[in-house]
Amino acid sequence: MPFYSDSEIPVRDDLAQAHAAQFERFARAGTWGTAVQRLAVISEARQAGIDAGMLEAPEDGGAVSDVELPEDVRAIIRCLAASPRDFDMGTYQQARDAGLSDAEFAELVAIVSFIVNLDVYARGIGVPLRPFAEPQPGNPSREQPVEAVLEQAFVPTIPNPPEGGAIAKEMYGPFKPYIMRALSIVPDEFRAHLELEQAQYVLLPKIMDFDYNHHEGLTRPQVEVVAGRVSAINDCFY
Amino acid sequence: MNPEALVRPELDTGVPSGDVLLAFAEAIIGTDRAALDAARTALAEALGPAAVSGASAVAANFSKNDRVANGIGIPVDDIVFNGTEDLREQLGLNAYKSAENTFRHM
Repeated sequence: MPFYSDSEIPVRDDLAQAHAAQFERFARAGTWGTAVQRLAVISEARQAGIDAGMLEAPEDGGAVSDVELPEDVRAIIRCLAASPRDFDMGTYQQARDAGLSDAEFAELVAIVSFIVNLDVYARGIGVPLRPFAEPQPGNPSREQPVEAVLEQAFVPTIPNPPEGGAIAKEMYGPFKPYIMRALSIVPDEFRAHLELEQAQYVLLPKIMDFDYNHHEGLTRPQVEVVAGRVSAINDCFY
Repeated sequence: MNPEALVRPELDTGVPSGDVLLAFAEAIIGTDRAALDAARTALAEALGPAAVSGASAVAANFSKNDRVANGIGIPVDDIVFNGTEDLREQLGLNAYKSAENTFRHM
C-alpha cells in the first residue's frame, strides 16, 4: 500500500518511497545505536514536538521503545527537535559530557532531524504522523571512517576531495557543501540525508539550474521562498 | 525575489503567490493547526494541490537541514559567506545564535 494512501493531496511516488525507506531505517540497527535505542530517540523527538504544540499526537503512534534514555540526553533531543535555534556548542558539550562519542552524537542529530522532517511533511499534507515500525534485532556496525577529521564543525567530518581521499570522491563527487558533509562521520546517515534532499528539495545535479522545477506547481523562486522562510523562523544562519 | 520578505513577511516577495507560500511556511512549523489548515487550502487554490506536497516537502527538508546545521555546528561555506556581507546585515542574520558557528572561526 502506498505510504501516503490516506492523503487527499497527491504525493509523488519517489517522495513517498523515500519517506517509507526512512521509517524502515529507523526500525533497524544503525551505525552506533540499536533499533530500540533509535526508536527511543525518535519517540522523544516526536513527543517534544507534540508537547510544544508543533505536532498533533497520532491515534496510532506505532511501536514503543522500552529503552529509558538518560535525562540529559533527553534534554538534548528535545532542544534539537523543538527549539533548534537554541542549540549551540554548549548543547554539544552536554552531549559529550553525557558520554556520547562524536559519531554517536552525529547519529542522534541525524535521526532527530529526519523524524522532524518526516513529521513536518505529514502535518503539511494533512495526514496523521506515520506510525513507528517494530524495531528489528541486530547490532550496530560501529564503522567510523578514518578519513573524518575535525574541520570547523563540532564533530569530525570527511573533507572534500582531494583531502578526503577516495571515500570523499565516492561519497561527494568533486564537492559537497558543509550542509551535505555534516553527517559524514556516519556514512549511512550521510546517505539518508542526501536521499531526502534529492527527493524533497532538488536533484543535486540540478541545484544550479534555476529553470528546473522539481515540484509540480512550484517554480524554483517559489521553492526558495518556503525554504528561506522556514530557515529564518528557525534562526538558521547557514 | 525580495529576500527581505523572508525575515519581514509583511513585505512583497516579488514571487507569484509569495504571500500564500510565506503563510504556509510559517503555519507548517507553527502551533496553530487551524491556521495551517487555512494556509493549505489557500495554497491548493492558488497553485494546485500538488504544490501543497511540494511546499510541505521543502519545508520538511529545511526543518531537517536547520537542525543538522545547528546540531553539528557547521560554518557557512566560504563560497556563500564571501560576498554576502551586505545581505546578511540587511536581513539581520548576524544576530542569530547559530551565526557563532561561523564567526568563531574568524
